[in-house]
Amino acid sequence: MKDQIQLLQEIESYLEGQLSDAERASFEARRQADPVLNAQVEEQQLFLQTLQQYGRRTELQQQMDRIHKHIATPQPANVVPIRKSTSYPRRRMITNLAAAACIALVTSLSTIAIMQRAAKQKTTAQYEDVRRVLNNIQRSQNALINNMNSTSKKAPANPGTYGGTGFAISTNGYIITNYHVVQGADSLYVQNNKGEAYKATSIFEDISSDLAILKIADSTFKSQPLPYQLKPQPVNLGEEVFTMGYPRDEIVYGKGYISAQTGFNGDTVAYQVSIPVNPGNSGAPLMDSEGNIVGIITGKQTTSDGIAFAVKSAHLKRLLDEMPKEKLPRREWTRKSAHLESMSRIDQIKKLEDFVYMVKVYN
Amino acid sequence: MSDHLNITRDRELLQGLARSDDKSLEIIYLENFPVILRMVQQNNGSDDDAKDLFQEAMIILYEKVQQGDFDLYSKLKTFLYAVCRRLWLKKLQGNTWVGLSDNLEETLPLEETMEEHEKRDEQFRIMQRSMGNLGEPCKTLLADYYLHKRSMQDIAEKFGYTNAENAKNQKYKCLMRLKKLFFDQYNDTK
Repeated sequence: MKDQIQLLQEIESYLEGQLSDAERASFEARRQADPVLNAQVEEQQLFLQTLQQYGRRTELQQQMDRIHKHIATPQPANVVPIRKSTSYPRRRMITNLAAAACIALVTSLSTIAIMQRAAKQKTTAQYEDVRRVLNNIQRSQNALINNMNSTSKKAPANPGTYGGTGFAISTNGYIITNYHVVQGADSLYVQNNKGEAYKATSIFEDISSDLAILKIADSTFKSQPLPYQLKPQPVNLGEEVFTMGYPRDEIVYGKGYISAQTGFNGDTVAYQVSIPVNPGNSGAPLMDSEGNIVGIITGKQTTSDGIAFAVKSAHLKRLLDEMPKEKLPRREWTRKSAHLESMSRIDQIKKLEDFVYMVKVYN
Repeated sequence: MSDHLNITRDRELLQGLARSDDKSLEIIYLENFPVILRMVQQNNGSDDDAKDLFQEAMIILYEKVQQGDFDLYSKLKTFLYAVCRRLWLKKLQGNTWVGLSDNLEETLPLEETMEEHEKRDEQFRIMQRSMGNLGEPCKTLLADYYLHKRSMQDIAEKFGYTNAENAKNQKYKCLMRLKKLFFDQYNDTK
């Protein structure tokens, strides 16, 4: 205790500058040699500073309170009217503000509503299903083709109200197409490029991804083994793709590339494809250079040319896996019979065109 | 030109404040308080809020001036107004400080000032608590010696010690107790 007091006294005299030069020098030397002492000196310094500050602040506070009393006391009469006059406009201000807020609210809400409506209209205007409305000219053409192919089974003379494309996913008559093609159909026919038409029924529809699976009604129907498979992996941006569809009564080939990994408005189950498509291309297969199915054409953007959208094959596959068991076609889309990858495009098309069907819808 | 003159006058007032001149303090207080009172009243604050706010701003100003590193680069009114505004908003919003889109704010970079103030404020509070817990006669004795700078002789007489040496010993004992109280809390906050 005594020692501590002595030390404190010494530190204090040092800090207050009361030591002689010699004492001071010796103290500083000790301070440098002894970190504990040094820490104590610093501690004392900080402490005294804070104490001084405390004193000054308390003093100042008292002084200010004294000054404040001077302002506060002579004006009690003044303070009341000021308060009154301030409280009145405040109430009026609140009413005004409330009115303004109401108007602002109504305006902004209606603006939002209008904007959303406009945006919706714009969206539907930008996206167009590429199914075809068959007209009279096509009807006569169609009738002609049917006449020529007199040996095969005939489709009804009426060519249907809408047309689209579909492709086989099994040898026993399962065909995939777009939901919007078969939507509201009374009866469905599929027709291959030889003009052979078969009655079909829609057995499974997925509205959200715009896909439908058709089954050829003829139970004896049997086609060649599938030359392609559904590619489960996503394709890369810029990969070259091609499609075959029925924008006319004849199969039409189109070539393009994957231009984005998402579809219309950021739809992740679709690609954006730069490829020429026309009404009737809906449901057409999108194939990579090796002849694997990578997607299915569903629509295009009307505001700019050459932008089409295709549902990804991975999604297609998932959909097929989710199908009810009793309706499920045999899993033929996971293997392929032909080796299309080594073939030229012309030979690939020759192999593939037999599996791409025109879907005709009557309603 | 008049602005320049005003700043010169403000500087003189601040020099007075640095010397702890009562008159300067009074002038600054009386000239600036009404502005702050109005600001606080317009923001649904009470007269007492205004008083607390303004006095805190004055403490900031005073401590900066005392430190000797305060250079007035705007009118004193502007500085006090900006500080008060800052303090007021902080009080209104709790501790979440949202940047102000106010020109005043842009012309007066107060970040450092406010941080420094917070640190000092914390120290002040700890010291205040420590002093409160210290009890008499230590509290008065230490205040008399360290704050009011009275001589040991005077203190010995006032407290009835037989001589200055005894008073000095007592002072050191008190000092050690206060230091302990202070540093116990101070080190906790670190």
